[in-house]
Amino acid sequence: MLKKCLRIALFLVVSQVAMAQEFDYGKVSKLELEEKTHPIDSSASAAFLFKQRTTFFQFSDSEGFQVVTEIYERIKIYDKEGFDYATKQVNLYRANQGNKEKFTGLKAASYNLVKGKIEESKLKKDGIFETELSDYYDQTKFTMPNVKEGTVVEYKYRITSPFIYNVDEYVMQENVPINKIEASFSAPEFYNFKINVKGYLSVSPVKTTNRKTIISSGADRSGNVTSFNANKLEYIDHIHTYTLANVPAMREEPYVNNIDNYRSTVKYELSYVKYPNSIPKYYSTTWEDVVKSIYDNPRFGEELNKNGYYEDDIDVLIEGVTDPANKLALLFNYVKSRVKWNGYYGYNTNLGVRKAYKEQTGNIADVNLMLTSMLRYAGLDANPILVSTRGNGVAIFPTREGYNYVIAGINIGNSLVLLDASDTNSLPNVLPVRALNWRGRMIKKGEESLEVNLYPNALSSETKNVLANLQEDASLTGMIRNVKTLHDAKLYRDVFNGADEDNFIEKLENKYEMEIEDFKVDNAKELEMPITETFKFVKENQADIIGDKIYFSPLFFLRTAENPFKMEKREFPIDFGYPSENTYRVMVNLPEGYKVASLPEAKSMSLPENLGSFMFTITENGKQVQLLVRTTMNNALITPVYYDVLKEYFKQLIEKENEKVVLIKV
Amino acid sequence: MRIYTFIVFLFFLDLLTAQNNEYQSILIDESLTKNVNAVVRSDEMVIHTTSKKEMKVTLRRVVTVLNKYGDSDIQTSVGYDNSRKINKLYAVAYDQFGNELDKFKEKDFTDVSAVDGGTLYSDYRVKYLNYTPVKYPYTMEFNYQYTTPNTGEIIPSWYFLDGYLVSTEKSKISFLFDEEDLKPEIKEKNLEGIQFVKTVNENSIVYEAKNIAAYRQESLSPSFGKIAPKLIIRPVNFTYEGYDASIHTWDDLGKWMYNNLIVGRDELTESTKGSIKSLTNGVTDNLEKAKIVYQYVQDNTRYISVQVGIGGMQPISAIDVDRVKYGDCKGLSNYTKALLETVGVTSYYTHVEAGNYKVDFEDDFASLADGNHVILAIPYQGNYYWIDCTSQIHPFGFIGDFTDGRKVLIIKPDGGEIATTTTYVGEDNHQSTTAEITLNKDGEIAAVVDIVTKGIQYDDRFYLENKAANDITKYYKSYWGYINNLNIDQFGFKNDKNKIVFTETVQVTAANYGSISGDRILFMPNVFNKNKNVPDRERNRKFPLEIQRGYFDEDEFVIFLPLGYEVEAMPKGTTIENEFGLYTTSLELSEDKNSIRYKRSLFIKNGQYAKEKYKDYRDFRKKVSLEDSAKVVLIKRD
Repeated sequence: MLKKCLRIALFLVVSQVAMAQEFDYGKVSKLELEEKTHPIDSSASAAFLFKQRTTFFQFSDSEGFQVVTEIYERIKIYDKEGFDYATKQVNLYRANQGNKEKFTGLKAASYNLVKGKIEESKLKKDGIFETELSDYYDQTKFTMPNVKEGTVVEYKYRITSPFIYNVDEYVMQENVPINKIEASFSAPEFYNFKINVKGYLSVSPVKTTNRKTIISSGADRSGNVTSFNANKLEYIDHIHTYTLANVPAMREEPYVNNIDNYRSTVKYELSYVKYPNSIPKYYSTTWEDVVKSIYDNPRFGEELNKNGYYEDDIDVLIEGVTDPANKLALLFNYVKSRVKWNGYYGYNTNLGVRKAYKEQTGNIADVNLMLTSMLRYAGLDANPILVSTRGNGVAIFPTREGYNYVIAGINIGNSLVLLDASDTNSLPNVLPVRALNWRGRMIKKGEESLEVNLYPNALSSETKNVLANLQEDASLTGMIRNVKTLHDAKLYRDVFNGADEDNFIEKLENKYEMEIEDFKVDNAKELEMPITETFKFVKENQADIIGDKIYFSPLFFLRTAENPFKMEKREFPIDFGYPSENTYRVMVNLPEGYKVASLPEAKSMSLPENLGSFMFTITENGKQVQLLVRTTMNNALITPVYYDVLKEYFKQLIEKENEKVVLIKV
Repeated sequence: MRIYTFIVFLFFLDLLTAQNNEYQSILIDESLTKNVNAVVRSDEMVIHTTSKKEMKVTLRRVVTVLNKYGDSDIQTSVGYDNSRKINKLYAVAYDQFGNELDKFKEKDFTDVSAVDGGTLYSDYRVKYLNYTPVKYPYTMEFNYQYTTPNTGEIIPSWYFLDGYLVSTEKSKISFLFDEEDLKPEIKEKNLEGIQFVKTVNENSIVYEAKNIAAYRQESLSPSFGKIAPKLIIRPVNFTYEGYDASIHTWDDLGKWMYNNLIVGRDELTESTKGSIKSLTNGVTDNLEKAKIVYQYVQDNTRYISVQVGIGGMQPISAIDVDRVKYGDCKGLSNYTKALLETVGVTSYYTHVEAGNYKVDFEDDFASLADGNHVILAIPYQGNYYWIDCTSQIHPFGFIGDFTDGRKVLIIKPDGGEIATTTTYVGEDNHQSTTAEITLNKDGEIAAVVDIVTKGIQYDDRFYLENKAANDITKYYKSYWGYINNLNIDQFGFKNDKNKIVFTETVQVTAANYGSISGDRILFMPNVFNKNKNVPDRERNRKFPLEIQRGYFDEDEFVIFLPLGYEVEAMPKGTTIENEFGLYTTSLELSEDKNSIRYKRSLFIKNGQYAKEKYKDYRDFRKKVSLEDSAKVVLIKRD
């Protein structure tokens, strides 16, 4: 045992010596300053030459254990686009009762090469700015003096936090390359943390231990008798260290729901606390723990079980109703119209359900826990489902912070119906897009939990029927009937409902560059029905008249003109939000005196694993061309493995949709 | 019987008060609810200047919101700082019948630092109310009062209309001044055609306007600020952060600014002076010296905005900027001015209203609040050269569309002067695109394209050279977004900062550019400068058509045809000339019939045109767009 400890100590010393040679604060090398571009990623505008973070627990008589995080970063700035890295911003959490994170020990400087000599400019007070950002956050910002292309900056500081249950994520990947990362996390044996690793890099810690002693001279609070003897406490520190080299930069791509989902990070989450001679207090190591700790919070479990505040109203509302589906509909609509979402997220209630009900506004939990409670009260099998919104990233590990939202789920027959009353235009199983993010976790009575898929299975559909006359002057007149269901309908209602109709039509006219008349929308407010939009239109220049021939694409202005996937490579999954199907039925009456010289050929193609399909058929009868096009995307999410296939699929789809019908004068 | 009449009477009275009640929203005049998201029922501000050192501002504002797009029109926020103190702040929400829904006290407002994205630090803060509507329509009453010793901070304008798609039932502003000296100067703008009453007394000026229908935004119209009914206001005798002022003309303002906020802030260390002198050693021409200094500033500083106290108006001293090598527009301009002074070049600190949309300073209305940016004017041989010291990349003397062609205030030691910055219009904004293109029998094109830009078109492009390769590829894929399957194989740039000319050379390929239809290939000969920009159709145009700058594009593409194909049909070419500009295209088949030479030019003049002309302009742009998509048809030779 002792031997092992010694070896470990030796190892630590060696690695520290090695580090000391390379990155010691203030010892910036000429080589670093002379570097013109990043040796691996020449397009990088800046790079972390070294990124170090040490987080450990520190004991003091007055504060007990606190979490201390020491940061040391050295950054090379290659060009002007990289100047942002000369400014650092640190947000510090501030709870009630004066508990807050403290920022201390800032040392920072920038380095330039001036006539072959290294010139150091220290950060002074006038470059440091402290702000009370809001009720919950303070912010410290600092910006380096003397920054130009080629500058190296470095800074170190320390954050002391009383919030031992909330250790900031270790960010192992940035938007610029990182040459070297050294990170460590050490915690006394009393605190057991769970590690959650996310991202594409393989990140795993080297684990060691270290014996520690603290001498407390404070009052002994364990017995009835207060004694002022010095207490000596011995314990073991568990140490995790990470060393990474050459971490590539993250780059944004289109159709990514949240790039932070793919960034490499390590998160330490407190799973239990066990002080000597006491019973352990558990936080979260398994989903059961997470669920228990969320449920045990009075702002969740207790709120869910309150029902006195609405009983009288609900009794009247559902009197005599027996069909579960009817009850569901009544209660869902009641909550939607009674309590409006105030824009705040959270699975814990903010105002509390009783107050939210009275004031007719509340956060997500106020609204949806109230709904769940009412559904239960009405005898339905309803449960809350924890969700991580798109903005919050994906909850992969058992963590409390992984979730930030809650919806309701209800079992009817064999199927699970998802409900979110925070959105006026949502429907059972048609959640607002913010909540469509991988999987949620349903908390059943008795505190067991179960993962549920949030992406809808049913295809949202959009069917466009066009009946049009192509004129000899290449203009097109006709009528469109556009029927949308589920999410396609919801997104339409989100824009249409509440908007001034004249403005809406005007925007539509400008979008399609056409004149619109007899515009009509059916079922705008009848959410359970498909929404239908019909209008007459006149659109110019829908064909090319060349010589005695007329050329036109039979989908006209409805065709897909641009491939959404333009880049050669793709790293992250492609997220369409929900599965969908589009159908176009077009009937075009040909201008007088023309007949079809050639038609595009029919085509159908499918993506692998039934991910999607495309079908194009076209016929003519001498006077009329009839077209049917159907595209289907069966999955909301497609892994980047299929990127090339998907890009090619869109390429072919666009080519087909752009192919021309050729008419010739009879 | 008696009781009965009494009840009826009460009921009647109720109805009457309901009609006058601005909190209910069931009886708003229809002309005010058409095409709007919100109606300002009453917007009343009282600005009471009790002395040169005290001003009390009171606002009571009642807004009825008709739909979710009108939520932001309640404008329940108020800013404050170390000298501006809020004495009263509350809001009340009402339902459509005028019943009170909720009341919000000062503590219900969220208090945050008012730092926008571009600013690192500011001691300015905002208290705002985040209201969740339960039902539409609803009405929000908002009240505040603050006092400030900065009487120079009087609001620079009062809008009788808030913005597009918002109407006004009543809007009233009262200026109360305890002494004649404290009377502000007021100028009316666009009040023709609105209902208003102006009342002037010995110690007050009051404007009250009623029933103004909403404006709708129109494309290519002057900005809202230019067409909206409003007052512009300027203090005459005031204090600002302890500085006493009496301003009648721009000359006065310039003098005051110079003597109070600028003078003496140009000190530099001897070593800095020495190094800047040695950089310009041997150079005699002032303009050449200025170029060297500007380059030095661009290479050695960056833009960081910090606004503390009087820092909103006064530059950080040159010596401080020199030490940290960053600053905001004021600090960097003042620093550059000090460096120029050191090498014997005179320059003037200049206030300007920056932004893509040009806004002039009013000739005869000297206002401290005018302008949001600072640049430098360098006099040379009877002209001014303008430089923006916050840019690290702009060429000397080139200010781009951020501060071009507008009236600005030059602040000289002996007074202020209104001058106009360099103007880039019409032909100045030139782009020439030339390309050699090979089309093969599968419809694929391969091309080398050269784009040469000047003027504002230079400004739109030259930043590309500082971008990462990945972003440049993305840029071209979006610039030529109408070309599917586009591959950017190579690109290179030449930035001539002396002549202010940017040259891009791009090598591309695109599969299926030509679409194959049996034995035919169809393609658009305008491969690399297709203009699809047609302004929106408008049925009842209200405002003039405004083109602030204009531009001139010239294109020439040689397209080599695939072997075994000949031209079946080809557009004839066009010439359209009108008051808005000129558009020409021509196509010419080479003698050996192997290639087509496509030439195009599009010239758009700058100018302001009557609203009736809008349709003509739109028709012109439609024709351009149509002609730009014209196709050539090739057919296989037997």
